[in-house]
Amino acid sequence: MAKKTPSIDTKNLTAVQLMELDSCTRCGECVKWCPTYAASGQKPGLAPRDKILRWKQYMDKSYGLKAKLFGPKEIPQSELEEFKDDLHGCSTCGICATVCESGINTVELWEALRTNLVKKGIGPFGKQSMFPKLIGQYHNPYLLDQKDRLAWVPPDVKIADKANIVYFTGCTAGYKQLALAFATSRVLNKLGIEFTMLGEEEWCCGSALIRTGQVHVDDVARNLAKHNVEAIKAKGATKVLYACAGCFRASKVDWPRLLGEELPFEVVHITEFLEDLIKKDKIKWEKTIDKTVTYHDPCHLGRHVGVYDAPRFVLEHIPGVKFVEMDRVREFQRCCGAGGGVKAGLPDLALGVAESRVKDALDTNADILSSACPFCKRNLMDGRDSLKADIEVEDIIVLVAQALGLSVEEPKKAEPKKA
Amino acid sequence: MEYFSGLSDALRLTFVQIMIFSTIAIVIFLYGMILNFQKWGAGVTGYALEPQAGSKGSAIRFLKTWWKQVVEESHHGHGKPILEVLILDIMFQRRILKRSPLRWFMHFTIFAGWMSLFALSGLMFAVEMTEKFGIELPFTPAEFRDFLSLPNYIFGYVLLLGVIIAVVRRLVVSNAREATIMYDWILLGGVFIVTISGFIADGIRTGFIWSFGLDPATAPPAALFHSIISLLFCIAYIPYSKYIHVIATPLAILANKGGE
Repeated sequence: MAKKTPSIDTKNLTAVQLMELDSCTRCGECVKWCPTYAASGQKPGLAPRDKILRWKQYMDKSYGLKAKLFGPKEIPQSELEEFKDDLHGCSTCGICATVCESGINTVELWEALRTNLVKKGIGPFGKQSMFPKLIGQYHNPYLLDQKDRLAWVPPDVKIADKANIVYFTGCTAGYKQLALAFATSRVLNKLGIEFTMLGEEEWCCGSALIRTGQVHVDDVARNLAKHNVEAIKAKGATKVLYACAGCFRASKVDWPRLLGEELPFEVVHITEFLEDLIKKDKIKWEKTIDKTVTYHDPCHLGRHVGVYDAPRFVLEHIPGVKFVEMDRVREFQRCCGAGGGVKAGLPDLALGVAESRVKDALDTNADILSSACPFCKRNLMDGRDSLKADIEVEDIIVLVAQALGLSVEEPKKAEPKKA
Repeated sequence: MEYFSGLSDALRLTFVQIMIFSTIAIVIFLYGMILNFQKWGAGVTGYALEPQAGSKGSAIRFLKTWWKQVVEESHHGHGKPILEVLILDIMFQRRILKRSPLRWFMHFTIFAGWMSLFALSGLMFAVEMTEKFGIELPFTPAEFRDFLSLPNYIFGYVLLLGVIIAVVRRLVVSNAREATIMYDWILLGGVFIVTISGFIADGIRTGFIWSFGLDPATAPPAALFHSIISLLFCIAYIPYSKYIHVIATPLAILANKGGE
């Protein structure tokens, strides 16, 4: 009789991650804070603690004492499919890691589990499976022409051919939220910062693939990282600026790991860059924004990398801004719900989480809910519209541009062509 | 040397018998730990890797991977110095304190009580072994046992306080009660039985508070029950139950440099 093989394997799961499953004390803190668990109406399967317990049980059934003595116990495919669904009902925001009393790096664990299951042919979730093919082919997730990467650039914006600084636009700002690209480029021009851009050579950062467990598929993510790093090196840059938290996180954390080497340039978020300029008194504000502003920490900027102060510093220095904090900020921030493929895979869940975050903002009586990530902005706007709430959702860099007397309007001629 | 515990007053355990029981418990523990290390060692050694075809779980692979993660730099910028992690996050359990002072108090009293009693037992064992090897000490093992009785009482009550809070919390707080599964109850039940049986065995022997009017003749079997159940739950059963967290959690906190 053929020897039974385990129903699961350990691809992509490190030895430390397998140990972490046994380190969970089931204290329940992760359950208390999880935004998707709350927005789902407390669906038990979405609780981080439950996911850890289930995979621990699968490991015990496959590699534990009984499995050694009597052979591995089969785990029904339907159970693994259900587990996959629950695993993807997570925005990988990382609040469970922040509050975990056992110090488990849950974000890495969820992503590794997703990849493990995808390799087994289970998952990802819904439309997410299109990402590798589309991004691999088009080099952006919106199926738009790479030639139009700089189609948005208005005549007044000056971009150097080569410079020490590269502005990495990101697909969402470069194709969909042009106001963000206008604001960033015009602010840099206004401050006399010479910068260059990658244009056609800027490819997707790969975040969508990595977060949804498809980091390995056709090696697309690694190719994207490699191409972008080479393109940046070719521009002779020593510093790369990001106004997108997702691209920033992917560049800072994921690219070095994918490539197996440190990056030959500095990865800087635009708010960190502006904070430095403000401290050096190099910004002369021209207008006041007499509004109450609150700030939503993007997960990829805050918890994942630790940038909390710079965005607040910038906001607090914009003339006229009255800055107020929401409930659940900084490392305890409530996610907007868009990340981890949830916006693409489970839009209703993403919307539910966004509504909760907009309610946090409304409780402060702020006029503006600001953030530093185009993806957060998109989902928070959807949450606001769903609630029919009267609050402006805006990116910090757009507020900075306005305070510098710059326009962030989108000229019609700059609209990108469809592929 | 004869111990107090035994099947009856006439059939008390000898040093050799206790050593045999302890050795069995340690062997069961070590076997379980090797199994766990092999299970964890079935994982890969780094980011986005796959295990080699046909490779089995290896305890060495686990230990190497764990150590590599402990010493490597974190890209997330959350790393804390190892000494700070050891003192504040593992010994002082800062991560629990940040979340819930009550739960921290409960867990810390169990941890401090348990570990102190374990250390005191270790000291007693060291003195007994010293005598066995013929090395003369300024006190006899019996005198040393008397000397340890006060700290044993103190840390016993510290442990008991934590255990009572833990049990009451699981029974009274609805969120905790509803989320508790057998995996949790076995851990808590084990600690509870070990603690209570220790107090009762001592109470019967001394006739003080915890005797509950029981016949003093039952003192040796009560002490035997406590000894065996302690060896079972405090050593042998650790790798096969939720008790494994006493080993895995510090390792996880160290590997993640104190966590986020």
